[in-house]
Amino acid sequence: MTELNLIIAGVGGQGSVLASHLVAMAAIRDGLRARVGETFGAAMRGGAVASHVRIGEDAPTPLVPEGGAEIVLALEPLEGLRNAVKYLAGGGILLTNTRAWTPVDVNTGRAEYPSMETIRGAVEKLGGRVIAIDATSLAQQAGNVRTMNVVMLGALAGVDKLPTSPESLKRVIRENVPKGTEEVNLRAFELGFSAVREK
Amino acid sequence: MGIAETIAEDSPGKRVLLMGNEAIARGAIEAGIGVAASYPGTPASEIMEALALAAPRLGFHAEWSTNEKVAFEVAAGAAITGIRALTSMKNAGLNWVMDMFMTLVYGGVRGGFVVAVADDPDAHYSSNEQDTRFAAFYGEIPCLEPADQQEAKDMTRYAFELSEQLKLPVMVRSATRLSHASGDVELGKIQKLDRKPAFDKHYELAYRWNVYGPPGPVEKHRWLHSRMPLAKRAVEKLPWNKLELKGKPKLGIIAPGLGASYARDAVRRLGLEGKVAFLKVGTPTPLPERMVGRLLKAVKTVFVVEEGDPLVEFQVKALAKDLNPRVKIAGKLTGELPPVGEINSDIVANALAKLAGIRRRRDRAREFIKAEVGELVSPRSSTLCAGCQHLGSYWALKQALRKLGGRVPIVNGDIGCYEQGGYGIFAKAIKPSFSTESVRYPIESPYEALDTNYIMGGGVGLMQGEFHAGYRDGAIVAVAGDSTFFHACIPAVINAVCNLAKGVFLVMDNSWTAMTGHQPNPATGITATGERVRALRIEDVAKACGVDFIRTADPFDLGATQAAIEEALKHEGFAVVVARRVCTLQAQREKKFVGKKMVVSPEKCTSCRLCVSFGCPAITYKDNKGGIDFLLCNGCGMCAQVCPTGALSVVE
Repeated sequence: MTELNLIIAGVGGQGSVLASHLVAMAAIRDGLRARVGETFGAAMRGGAVASHVRIGEDAPTPLVPEGGAEIVLALEPLEGLRNAVKYLAGGGILLTNTRAWTPVDVNTGRAEYPSMETIRGAVEKLGGRVIAIDATSLAQQAGNVRTMNVVMLGALAGVDKLPTSPESLKRVIRENVPKGTEEVNLRAFELGFSAVREK
Repeated sequence: MGIAETIAEDSPGKRVLLMGNEAIARGAIEAGIGVAASYPGTPASEIMEALALAAPRLGFHAEWSTNEKVAFEVAAGAAITGIRALTSMKNAGLNWVMDMFMTLVYGGVRGGFVVAVADDPDAHYSSNEQDTRFAAFYGEIPCLEPADQQEAKDMTRYAFELSEQLKLPVMVRSATRLSHASGDVELGKIQKLDRKPAFDKHYELAYRWNVYGPPGPVEKHRWLHSRMPLAKRAVEKLPWNKLELKGKPKLGIIAPGLGASYARDAVRRLGLEGKVAFLKVGTPTPLPERMVGRLLKAVKTVFVVEEGDPLVEFQVKALAKDLNPRVKIAGKLTGELPPVGEINSDIVANALAKLAGIRRRRDRAREFIKAEVGELVSPRSSTLCAGCQHLGSYWALKQALRKLGGRVPIVNGDIGCYEQGGYGIFAKAIKPSFSTESVRYPIESPYEALDTNYIMGGGVGLMQGEFHAGYRDGAIVAVAGDSTFFHACIPAVINAVCNLAKGVFLVMDNSWTAMTGHQPNPATGITATGERVRALRIEDVAKACGVDFIRTADPFDLGATQAAIEEALKHEGFAVVVARRVCTLQAQREKKFVGKKMVVSPEKCTSCRLCVSFGCPAITYKDNKGGIDFLLCNGCGMCAQVCPTGALSVVE
């Protein structure tokens, strides 16, 4: 049985791949099976990135089927919408950071960046709901803006849909983030967790 | 515990999360590998990265070679002395090794030799979608094709045994969705092979390692053919080739590698378990022909599900001619599966449903909403990094060409981070032109700078043909990076000098193989395992190749770089300009670069958008004013040189 189909989306360099591996490692630690499929464009940085995380026995393939994700976790709102349109299941949640990373297409006046209200409306039309937090500011508050991905993992634990416990997730975070950054990352996790619990 | 520890950990039975590429590396480590050599290429690079992490601890040799051909030869040389060796590469990398690949097989190897190739269906990171399994077929060697990370590890380990049994190289074929996906893998024991390298030039065959040595290539080709029956016998017994055939099903599936994973998923989703026959294939060449035969005789329709081109489908068709000509064979050749791009379980499930006569409901209302909402999603063009030195090189090149490039200059591209100079702006629709004259197009960003781009080292060769064809409507330029220069450009540079070509070759030297994740190359001065070595300078090599016009410049200094390119454009002959500065990301990582403090003065902005056309992702443009996203800005200071009014400036 598949227990969770999750997509972690963002822009290259924001840490979506590490975040997806941390979720999968926590699941394996809890005795579940896990698989992560990464999809990204050619660029290392600045391109659209998404990691597909599948937890449970019934997940022989690395990609979540279209319309099959219970949660889309977005480190960047536009990337959240991009993946929600394709993958979010009816009744699913788009859990997103509010801080935009504007694409060059928008800067050059070739495209428009959708507002948070537009994104919310679009996801509701698709039968999902949006939970948005300013994870970038929370990461700065935790002490390092680069922990934004971990703020979002805290938020993910906060929505209470993960088949793993927040404690397992915290343990793998502690074990896998660069040495010396454990405390700031755990602070970031807690801030994300409470931000969602307060919503 | 990170991959550095996990990859070399001798704890059989432990379950860990491994990327497909790491699983391949782990398989080689468990097999007791002695030599590993590779050139970086996405999606294969992590195989060697993982091996390089383990090599110092376990005492084997691991290297980033100058190119795939050299890597292949390094590994083959080790295998000739009886040592287990692996070479890994991306799909296109195999094209570089084909000369040696097709010839080494005539005498084979002594120690196990594994060629691990990661294909890239859907061209996520590649210039083509080639299916390298055909090369195994062409070279008459076995190919193992794993379906998941566990198989990637186990098959790689086994591939060394099979290689030694047949005395032939064995290919392990991965693909993006396996290489760049992670799954839980149960570790096996790490074998400690205490082998002493030995050389015997007539080992079991006269002149074994010398293809011309008597009795010569034709007899050695005959020897190669003697291997295939042995390989065919071996693959029938492998656990990764498995036929599930119960009762009298009408439909059977044949699926190698990832195709088997997708097909298994599709069968489950459609509730067809036990109702269709299933041949899971681990060896697309040679096929387990007896199993294929049993299936062909048992069913009315066979559905072949494979990632890449129809290699298995062709072979199944050939076998069916003798075994059951009436069986219908469906797949990529018959249009059930798309002949280009990658497959996934949605695509396979839709095709399987049709073949099984299952009607799947389409939710048209939802499809309509999805299409409507999809319109709101802006494309996100790929960009260079904030503060990337290539942004400076492209700016300088654009300004120099505006002055001295003539009516329609040609800029020939190459492979590396800077190839993004040819990716365009995704949101900009381009109409094809049918002009018979040279056409000039406006360049609004560095992402529209490159006019041609194909393969490693391709640009500097193309520029010479354009010149010798008599193209004089504009300047002819080629760009390449440092790693590409050493990999593939040197023969073309010599060719330009010795055949009197004229043009400007701009080498964007950031001293790392950055695009694939910052592997070291000859310009870096470090080996795969971290030893310090001499760093080669592009200008020294160019000089030794006979180039007499060489200039170097720091791309952060836009004026100096532009001046160097202008001087080169005026030169009557072949000119090399080296724009050198260490990759900004890498310099930050090594704490060798501290960014400048930037300041935005919106009142000075005249909305000229030059800053936007510079193409740095940290530049913002809102309410008709240029600005800087300080979360992204690395403080290179280049935008302050671009801004004509001082709206973007450096705090002194």
